This record gives sequence, C-alpha cells and structure tokens, in this order.
Amino acid sequence: MSQAPSAIGRPLPRQDALAKVAGKARYVDDLALPGMVHGKALRSPHPHARIRSINTAKARACPGVVAVLTAQDIPGANSIGPIIKDQPVLCSDVVRYVGDPVALVAAETEAAAEAALARIEVDYEILEPVLDPIRALERDAPAVQPNGNIGSHFKVRRGDVQKAFSEAAVVIQRRFFTPRIEHAYMEPEAALAAADGEGGIVVYSSTQYAHRDREEVSRMLGLPQSRVRVRQMTTGGGFGGKLSPHAQCYAALLAWKSGRPVKLRYRRDESMIASYKRHPYVTDMKLAAGRDGKIVAIEATFVGDTGAYLLEGRAVITKSVTHAAGPYFIPNIKADGYAVYTNTVPCGAFRGYGVPQAAFALESLMDELAGRLAIDPIELRIRNGLDTTCPTSTGQILRASVPFKQMLGRAKVAAESLRPLLQQAPEGRRRAIGVGCSTRSIGSIRTPSRSTAVVSLHRDGSITVACGSVDIGQGSDIMMAQVAAEELGASVERVEVISNDTAIAPDCESTSASRVTYVSGNAVRMAAAKVRARVLGLAAQDLGCAPGDLKLMDGVVLYREQGMSLAQLFAKHTFHIITDIAEFIPDTSPLDPETGQGSPAGTYSFSVHLALVEVDQGTGQPRVLRYITFSDAGRTINPMTAAGQVHGGVAMGIGYALMEQLHLDQGVTNSSFATYLIPTALDIPQEVPVEFVEDPEPTGPFGAKGFAEGSLDPAAAAIANAVSNAIGIRIERLPMTGERIYELLHPPQPSL
Amino acid sequence: MSEFGKIRATINGQTYDLSVALNETLLELLRYRLALTGTKSGCETGDCGACTVLVSGKAVNSCLVLAVEIDGASVTTIEGLSAGGELHPLQQAFIDHGAVQCGFCAPGIIMAAKSLLDEEPRPSEEEIRTAIAGNLCRCTGYLSIVKAIAAAAEVLRGGDKR
Repeated sequence: MSQAPSAIGRPLPRQDALAKVAGKARYVDDLALPGMVHGKALRSPHPHARIRSINTAKARACPGVVAVLTAQDIPGANSIGPIIKDQPVLCSDVVRYVGDPVALVAAETEAAAEAALARIEVDYEILEPVLDPIRALERDAPAVQPNGNIGSHFKVRRGDVQKAFSEAAVVIQRRFFTPRIEHAYMEPEAALAAADGEGGIVVYSSTQYAHRDREEVSRMLGLPQSRVRVRQMTTGGGFGGKLSPHAQCYAALLAWKSGRPVKLRYRRDESMIASYKRHPYVTDMKLAAGRDGKIVAIEATFVGDTGAYLLEGRAVITKSVTHAAGPYFIPNIKADGYAVYTNTVPCGAFRGYGVPQAAFALESLMDELAGRLAIDPIELRIRNGLDTTCPTSTGQILRASVPFKQMLGRAKVAAESLRPLLQQAPEGRRRAIGVGCSTRSIGSIRTPSRSTAVVSLHRDGSITVACGSVDIGQGSDIMMAQVAAEELGASVERVEVISNDTAIAPDCESTSASRVTYVSGNAVRMAAAKVRARVLGLAAQDLGCAPGDLKLMDGVVLYREQGMSLAQLFAKHTFHIITDIAEFIPDTSPLDPETGQGSPAGTYSFSVHLALVEVDQGTGQPRVLRYITFSDAGRTINPMTAAGQVHGGVAMGIGYALMEQLHLDQGVTNSSFATYLIPTALDIPQEVPVEFVEDPEPTGPFGAKGFAEGSLDPAAAAIANAVSNAIGIRIERLPMTGERIYELLHPPQPSL
Repeated sequence: MSEFGKIRATINGQTYDLSVALNETLLELLRYRLALTGTKSGCETGDCGACTVLVSGKAVNSCLVLAVEIDGASVTTIEGLSAGGELHPLQQAFIDHGAVQCGFCAPGIIMAAKSLLDEEPRPSEEEIRTAIAGNLCRCTGYLSIVKAIAAAAEVLRGGDKR
C-alpha cells in the first residue's frame, strides 16, 4: 500500500481545463488540413418514399465541387449503428424518415457544397408513412422495416401478478407519456477525414467511442481496422448522442473517394432534425400493495417509438423493462417493452437509457399509492426499498453497496428542512415537495462490456495510462489519473492519460452506461497493480526482503530507512519503462429471454432527489425553487467532477420535466434553440446540494462504482410529483409546460 | 458571388487590415480567416451564445455580426483574455470551481461574464445569471459557473479568494 496522500476522493481540476478556458482546446471544427474541402449531406424531405433515381450530373458540374456520392459509391458495407447496424450510410432504395441521408457532396467551400446539394435531383415515389407508434402496431399499418414494425420486445416475468392484483388491498394504474427529446450537446456533430497516404485513413472525430468509429469506417470502406486510425478530438458533449458515427462515415467516404481531406459538420438544425433522439414512450403501469404499504405486484408495458431504425432500441427497452420495479423489491412482476418502428427520426441512446421514462411512471404511482394508503411518500419507499437481502427485478441479490434506505433517511430529514418554505408561497401560487428515486445497473444491459488498460511507469516515476474510454466532458481522464496515481504512489500531476487515439489506447467500448469509472477504472487499477508488483518484485530481490515489506512512493521504493529510486532500480535491471496490461469485465450472467432473470451488472447505483416547486395558478407555469440530491457512487474518486455530473443531470432533468419536446409534422419542426428550449442559468434553483452517501463497492476500483446517469434518472419524476402535489392533480405527461398545467387547472367547460 | 469590403479593426490588441466578404460573419472571420478558433460555433442563429465575443466592450453573438460591422472597432476574444500568458481571474476561477466539463460553452460564457464584470464589479447572483442567460450549457447545470464568476469578481475587486 502506498503512503502518499491519497489521490482518491480529491476534488482535482481536470487536466484539460486550462486549454478549454484559454480557447486552446481543439474540437474537430478547429482543425484545418492542407487541401481540405467541405462536406455536406443531402437528406430526404419525405418520411417514407422509394428512391426511383438519383441524378448527380448537375451537382457535379457546380463550381468548386470535388465529389458527389451516393450509395453505389460505398466500397464496403452500407450499414452502421451503435449496436444494431440497421441504418444505411446512404439510402439506396427507401428513405424512412425526414432527414434520412441520400447523397454527399464535397466542395471547396461550405457554400459551394450547399449549392451543389440543391442541384442533386432525386426522384421519389412517395409512400404512406406511419408516424405514431400505436398506429404502427395495427395490422394494416405501413411497414417501416421489412419484418414489420415491432423492432424488439423484451419481458420480465416473476411470480403471479394476476393473483397478486386480485388479492391486493389497493390497485392503481395509469398511462404515462414522455416526449421525444434532443441531446442538445453544444458542439454539433463534426468529423474530419484524410487518407494517410499509406493505404489507410485518419478520422478526427467528436465521439463517445473512437474504436467504434474505426470499426464502422473500416466496414464501410472495406479496409482492415488496422488501416483506420481515429483520433477523438475534444468533444463538446455527447449524452448518448454521439455513439453512432454517421458524420465520421460521411467524411471518410468523401475523403476516400475525392482524395482530399474532408471536414463535414452538421448545422444545428440538421443535427436536431436528423440525429437520433430519446425514445418517446407510452407507458401503462399498474401497481398493487397491501394496507401496510408493501408492494405486491407491478405490471408495466412500455411502448417506445424507436423511429426509422432500431440502433439501440432493443437495449433501451431492455433497460426499461428490467428497471420497471425501480429501486424496490416487488415479488410479482410482469413487464413488457416494445421498440416500435415509425417513419420518424430514429431514437437511440440518451443519458438514462429508458430508466427516466420508467422512473417517471413508477415514482408517480408510488406517490399515488402513498396518498391512497395515507403513508408518507418517503416512508413508503423505505418500506419497499431494495437492500442487500432481497432480489432485484431480475433476481439478482446485491451483496454490497446498497445505501438506498440510508439515502431515503437523509432525504426525510432534508424534506423536513424544506417544509417552512411551503408556507411562504406568494398569493396565487402553490408550492409542494416531491421525491423521486431510481436505481440503475452500471454498464451495458444485454452483454457485459470489457475495458483494457495499459499502464507504463517511466524511470523518473511519471506514468502513462493508455485506456480507450474517451472523455466527453464528464471527467473520466482525471479519474483514471487518480486511480493510477493511487495505485503507484505517484502524484496525479505526473500521470498522463491517453484515451483519445485508437493507435495508442486499447478499445474499452463506449463512454456510456455510466460504466467508465467501474469498468475502465478497474482495468487501470489492475494494470497499475501489475506494474507495481513487478517493480516491488525486482526491488525485493535487490534488497533481500519480501515485496510486502516495501512501499512505493513518489518514484522511490522504500524499505525501512533505505530508499532506492526507480531510476536506480530501472538502470540496474536495464529497464527504461515498465509496462503492463489488464482487462476487466464485470461479473454477470445473461438475462433469460423468457423471464428476464439474470445478473446483468456487477453493481447498481441509487439516486434520491427532492424537488420543491412553485406553480403559478394564473399562468400554470411551474418553477423549481429548491432541489436536493442524494447520490451513490460507492467511493467518490473525484468529488468535483461527480458534483458536476449531478448538477448537469439535474439541469437536464428540469428540461425534461418542464420544457423539452420535439414537435413533428412529418419531420422535426422545432429545430433551433429558439423553438426547442433547454434550461438556461435562469431556470436552475439557487443551489442544488449534492451529497454522496458513500457505501464502498467491493468490486470497484478503490470502492468506486460510478453513477453518472443516476444524476438524471429520477429528476423528472421528483419534479412531476412535486407539481402533482402542488396542483392536486396527477401528472401523466411530460413536459409540464405552463400551457399544460394551465389546462389541467382550468379544464375546458363542456359546451351546452 | 460575394462582394468584398475593406475593414480595419483591432482584435485582441492587434490591428488588422482585412478584405472581407460582405456576407461574412464576424464568427467566420475569427475562426476561419484569422484561425482564432477559441470562439465556438454552436448554432449560427444567435441562440446558444457559444460565439460570444466583445465588440467595443459589449458582448455580442459574433454569428449575428457581419465582419464589415467591426470596421473601426476593437474586438476581444477568449484568446485575448490571458495577457502575457497569465490567465484572467475568470479563467482561473472556472478551472478552480469545476465550471468546465466539455468546455464548448466556456469561451462564450467567460466573455459574457467579462462584459458583466467590466460594467458591474459587484454583481448580485441574479445579475450574474441574467448576464449569462443567453449562453447555453448542457453539461454543468450552471451552478459552478455562477460560483466561478462570483469568485472572479471578488478577485478583481482585490479580494483574496482564489
């Protein structure tokens, strides 16, 4: 064990913060290469149509144009996707949503490329679209995909819900609606690609998974992966929305075919119309309990509109279904989820990944149940909360690090502290408190994902960590530096982390699923431990003692009063560098397709949020006045970045709860930040206290488990419960805009 | 095809004589012609604030300003904020308070904050939030940003808060 002051638990600023505040950080659009041209994509204006022909002659003749490409120009596979590869790079026969890509242009300037796009002639035969998921399930609905409109179905079965419902003291059920929403990362999609002059290609990417970018580009171009290098640039946000490398593939295809470097960046409206979104859900949920408040059964049906392509729809639905019971023990479960195709913009990964939708429904019913049984809402949750003795909905018993009831206890105290504010509502306004809770499995839900890390110790004691989990702003790089520093007794400032280059960092799968701290953090710690063992083994030989007698600190191996510097040790044994590699994959078992039972994750994280809202009865406008959070990351490696996650997740939750909704006519109509509103500095309460209840996860790096999406999962639920309490009417639909609340408060009078 | 105009402007203390297209925006001029890529392009319709710079001391969305409009004016971008390699207190405060995550909004918000602090050295929290209400951030939830701006204001007033 090292003796240096612990690197774990320190709120260290991230290593790239200086470059970012100085304007020196390099995002894709900050790059320029000699001979670079600009790419643009032509997209379908129709939600459903057959392509009869594409005539590019006039576009080719436009000034400054160097390439005009269609599907037939793709040398390899014409399909990409983060999990299910069912989205064409370029459509060849059918377009399935407004925004589906049809052709590409590269030209000397962006203006020239846009002008050429307008000269591409596509002859469409318009087909009947289906724009609503309930309609899409009807027998005679138009087929979006050849095998019908159900893209995926997943279920969980445990016990006998019908029997439990018939015997229960209270049964409640409702239908809930959650909207299709936009990630709204501040940096729109962008990619720069250039042939490397040696038969390969380099892609500079804004991405959550550089190695997948490499895989998809290599498949599309028919190149071996070893000939494709992807360099993740500083990435301006992702939130799940940069997991499918469409921009990267367009840029790479244009670069490959034109022989020029190509930069392709999406306009903001293009990003809002064409890139994938959060699944809107229609959720039917039924909950039953005994008089004592113990929940006996849950029945849930989630219908998620996955849009034109499945992408990650199967996994999102699986996450919702396996999390339908939330952070509670419910003995009888019948849950079904459907990812349904429609001719709308595809839906995919988005922070929360099906849990926010499920939490909104469940937490609303929990509050309704509490009201019916006259039990305090937090007390009801304590009575039903998971702990280390009872199984999750998939039958997994979490043997450690389940601080949920403790967090609820803290929330009870916090709710009391908010009560005086309830009396201070001005005239014409109503205030109320709401609670929202959630749990989520850490890591991908259907197949476990592995991280691989390489740690190198240099003879001056400095360290290089090569681990391909990219940092997209959330702070994973500094986390890995802290883990390596801790294991090797070094100061964090002497650790270099390289996560952004497929030529250097091993594939660690995606930055998603709240997995990086747990999975990649573990891989880094294990690799560093191997290096440490080798160093101490060598030193022990030289000093004639056992490795366990030695300490490694600040580049020196210490034995009693003696010290041997790494430089000395390395020189003696002819090492310039000691490097080792480790892989970590969580200990899981697969989900049974008939019952949904299994152990899909190595650990689960819990969240408890409290919201105090004020509703203006005159306008209906709700406002979040106070917001208190309790989060569970096991041991928190960096409290500063962890708090940042909470604040960001809560802000996103306020948006989801109160203002965000994409409107579709045939395609997205509100495609700017003037018409798609996300929270500003004026929409966030004065403070959002962040408390991490630390119950270490034994299988995590230094007890850490990560938590990321837990910052958002219960937020809309907490705010909805608060609004429901304020107006005395159960909220069934998000977002809770002023207009909607007004209509609930002033229902239209029946005409005579 | 664009026509051109000649302008003379001081950008980050350096005077430029430039021939610019009449439909070229200040944002395009900065990023693509002058390679001052610290100022970001987030929407190009004036809704997100990522492109905020100071023109004659006033915060503007540079995507909504034509390059020809800065003739005779002085412009400050994020690159011009660190004099002689030393960070401006706003920049240091953003680092210290965890107000930087993906960083894409940071240059624009820092410039908006500078404009506020130049005018109002003792801003209330409300005034800070209002000053950056036109700058969207999707990562931080704004709280650490507001704290950082307040801390920088204190440093600029001569207080010791680092």
